[in-house]
Amino acid sequence: MTDATRSGLRLSRIGIYAVLLLAALVYLVPLFVMLLTSFKTPLDIRTGNLLALPTDWTTVGWSKAWSSACTGVECEGVRGYFWNSFKMTVPAVLISTLLGAFNGYVLSKWKFRGSDLFFAMLLFGCFVPFQVVLLPMAATLGKLGLANTTAGLVLVHVIYGVAFTTLFFRNYYVAIPDALVKAARLDGAGFFTIFFRILLPMSTPIFMVSLIWQFTQIWNDFLFGVVFASGDSQPITVALNNLVNTSTGVKEYNVDMAAAMIAALPTLVVYVVAGKYFIRGLTAGSVKG
Amino acid sequence: MSELALRSIRKTYPGAAEETLKGIDIEIASGEFLILVGPSGCGKSTLMNTIAGLESITDGAIVLDGTDISGVEPKDRDIAMVFQSYALYPTMSVRENIAFGLKIRGLPKDDIEQEVQRVADLLQISHLLDKKPARLSGGQQQRVAMGRALARRPRIYLFDEPLSNLDAKLRVEMRTEIKKLHQRLKTTIVYVTHDQIEAMTLADRIAVLKDGELQQLGTPKEVYDTPANLFVAGFMGSPAMSFVPVTVAQGEQGLYGEVIGDDGARTALPLPAYLADRVGQTVTLGIRPEHITQPQDQKNGQALVTTGRFTIEVTEPTGPDVIALIRLNDTGVHCRIDPEHPVTWGESADLMFDMKKVVFFDPDSGLRIPPQ
Amino acid sequence: MEHIQRHPARVARAPSRLLDGLQRWLPKLVVAPTFVLVGIGVYAFMLWTGVLSFTSSSFLPVYDFVGLDQYAKLMNNDRWLTASANLGIFGGLFILSCLVIGVLLAIFLDQKIRQEGAIRTIYLYPMALSMIVTGTVWKWILNPGLGLEKLVHDWGWTSFSFDWLVNSDMAIYTIVIAAVWQASGFVMALFLAGLRGVDPAIIRAARVDGASLPLIYRKIILPSLRPVFFSAIMVLSHIAIKSFDLVMAMTAGGPGYSTDLPAVFMYANTFTRGQMGLGSASAMLMLGAFLALLVPYLYSELREKRHD
Repeated sequence: MTDATRSGLRLSRIGIYAVLLLAALVYLVPLFVMLLTSFKTPLDIRTGNLLALPTDWTTVGWSKAWSSACTGVECEGVRGYFWNSFKMTVPAVLISTLLGAFNGYVLSKWKFRGSDLFFAMLLFGCFVPFQVVLLPMAATLGKLGLANTTAGLVLVHVIYGVAFTTLFFRNYYVAIPDALVKAARLDGAGFFTIFFRILLPMSTPIFMVSLIWQFTQIWNDFLFGVVFASGDSQPITVALNNLVNTSTGVKEYNVDMAAAMIAALPTLVVYVVAGKYFIRGLTAGSVKG
Repeated sequence: MSELALRSIRKTYPGAAEETLKGIDIEIASGEFLILVGPSGCGKSTLMNTIAGLESITDGAIVLDGTDISGVEPKDRDIAMVFQSYALYPTMSVRENIAFGLKIRGLPKDDIEQEVQRVADLLQISHLLDKKPARLSGGQQQRVAMGRALARRPRIYLFDEPLSNLDAKLRVEMRTEIKKLHQRLKTTIVYVTHDQIEAMTLADRIAVLKDGELQQLGTPKEVYDTPANLFVAGFMGSPAMSFVPVTVAQGEQGLYGEVIGDDGARTALPLPAYLADRVGQTVTLGIRPEHITQPQDQKNGQALVTTGRFTIEVTEPTGPDVIALIRLNDTGVHCRIDPEHPVTWGESADLMFDMKKVVFFDPDSGLRIPPQ
Repeated sequence: MEHIQRHPARVARAPSRLLDGLQRWLPKLVVAPTFVLVGIGVYAFMLWTGVLSFTSSSFLPVYDFVGLDQYAKLMNNDRWLTASANLGIFGGLFILSCLVIGVLLAIFLDQKIRQEGAIRTIYLYPMALSMIVTGTVWKWILNPGLGLEKLVHDWGWTSFSFDWLVNSDMAIYTIVIAAVWQASGFVMALFLAGLRGVDPAIIRAARVDGASLPLIYRKIILPSLRPVFFSAIMVLSHIAIKSFDLVMAMTAGGPGYSTDLPAVFMYANTFTRGQMGLGSASAMLMLGAFLALLVPYLYSELREKRHD
């Protein structure tokens, strides 16, 4: 290798790192700005700029966002809605994951006539634009007495999330050799015994993927929240939007940013702690072909 | 131990054009080691799955000790199976793997413990009882899989190509283990393999299958020496039997068939008298490498023995033999030659043909011509 | 010689017919709830919306039949036409930008970079955020008076102006910026996984043949990643068609309705302006757009399988 080539290569390596680092900055800057702004006073915001450090670090934005900011008619902050989101997300995640596990088990190890068609039907259903079901769903929830309730939201998220969880589990169980199930059947195990004693203990990775993926999707959802819930049962995404976009008086950007951080924290924390499962969910759900 | 009878077993998969099993009849005696052998796609694994109840049959009956179990669930058939991939439960220890079936059947804890210990001692895996399958070698996993089957004390043991995943050396070792176990426990075993050497060494009887049909059912000796048709003859034995077309001719000292080497030299091979009604017709001669050797003095002058000179095309030394390839009537034929009697490829050599165990097939039907 | 004993506990009991019959139905029973939920929640509801799109429903559903009236109204509706055009602009730019950025970053990351894991984590974290959060942040960053514009002014370039957010011609591009920021990391992840799946022997053979690395990428590796391109385009299109959260947070469709998208149009008409029939028709057209993308994709997939 000549000196020219070697230095040429080093130059290109530097170039590559430069681009990658620049991209990383671009991705990180909004988060940085969001954090920074949330700790500023309104004065600092008006006089400074996006990247300027606060002259006066304050948590007033956070406290206002949490307990006194106006989200439409009410001015109680986003605290209540934060808990709403949890009340909605946790059951929906658990139920859709459980259903997905059983479905995946059946579709991979107990196939019956029409099971492949059923699976295709599920998959299609989870990619359809949800605008085509909003109105009927709203009407049905009303008839069931679940309009504007957390329970209604849970039902909605389960219905539209079960296809994804089924996909995860089915693909996972398909990779487990059928001979295992055959051996268990000969040993005398039945449908549920095989699931609980043999497959379930092996399923921790995919459970993690499903739980984390569903948590992120459901917590971050806005469409279902804004259509099917209002007032007391709204999730935090709706509250955030109301807070930011209902302009009564002077805009307090520090409060806006603090509220956005509050809304983003749970999924961000999950991502930082267990991101690899989230990524597996991302790539599993879309490179299915 | 138990007797198993397969009566006219037929199976067609839904939507398939052809039957996978076309009417299989096999009676297995108590304590017998029966091997199902055949090329891939012949239906041997399907047949085994129907015996286990993992697949249904379209027609026929599976009779175990006099009871028709064709409609019985696998778990109630009292049959245990050892799988090619071992299929050990990965999250359970060896002990739990072996005990699983017994626990489901509601055996008391002490009995289970006793049974696990008995089996572990039998297979020399006592030191592995608390390990998980992932920590075991292939051979050890195989033993655990067998242990799981043994612990259930079933009426019949099914083995589905259990040695195919092992390397060659381990395979030979495990073969001996299985043989010893069978001799000791005298269990009824149905065993599937595609390896005909395994079939020959382990079986009491061999069932050769092709395309869902039973080609021959017999002892290893029967299947080897008197194959029922061309397929069985060509499948069993390695190197394979060679098939040479010859015309039956009447000579002064009896029947003979003329073979022409690739250099034009003609040799008359003596044929047995039972081919007399086929004079003038062509038959397919089936000859094994061990029937063509270097000239052996003690055989000189025997009936049905002759010598000829042929060009050696290829030599393959295997250690105990040299396998040589010659050409008869335009067909490649393998011979087994003593390495102490060297031959060189490209040159011609004297070879002795011992026709006593050579078999003959009808060229149209492929069936062996039986001595009358 | 060992004497084989039967287990005394294992008595030859007659197989329980009832339990066996149940076992055969059990798998179907287990998936039945999902079947019902999705059958109704997706398919029956789709049909219902379709039916509504042929009615004159406004604030309440009315089941008269007005043929293609609502669809005709849509075609003449300025807002809908703007929204559809916006979808084309937004969708096209969004998908293209994500692909270019995602592929580039993936290729760079594939060059045995130190701290690759950390960098990948940074590129992907936006996908963990709600689009509402993304919209809110970018709305602030692109704020005409206090955001990017002021920042650049403070750095010295005082004539810089960035009022796209309130400029009805340019506002749609702010949506593109925010969306690309969120989703390009995902494309990167997809392609990185795809690149890692390429047989290294092929690359070695090409290098021995004398090809330079950029050429190898252009002529050999990227063409072999066609399936990944397809997957990425499918998912990105899906995100684009559904884009509702982002627009609501950033511009609520404004200024005016210059950043309207079909999803926003549908929501506004159905739930705010009491035009259920019209809204349903718009929803059905969105479904149509989705099918128009799906069918060729499935067709090309099946065709490839047949070739195998």
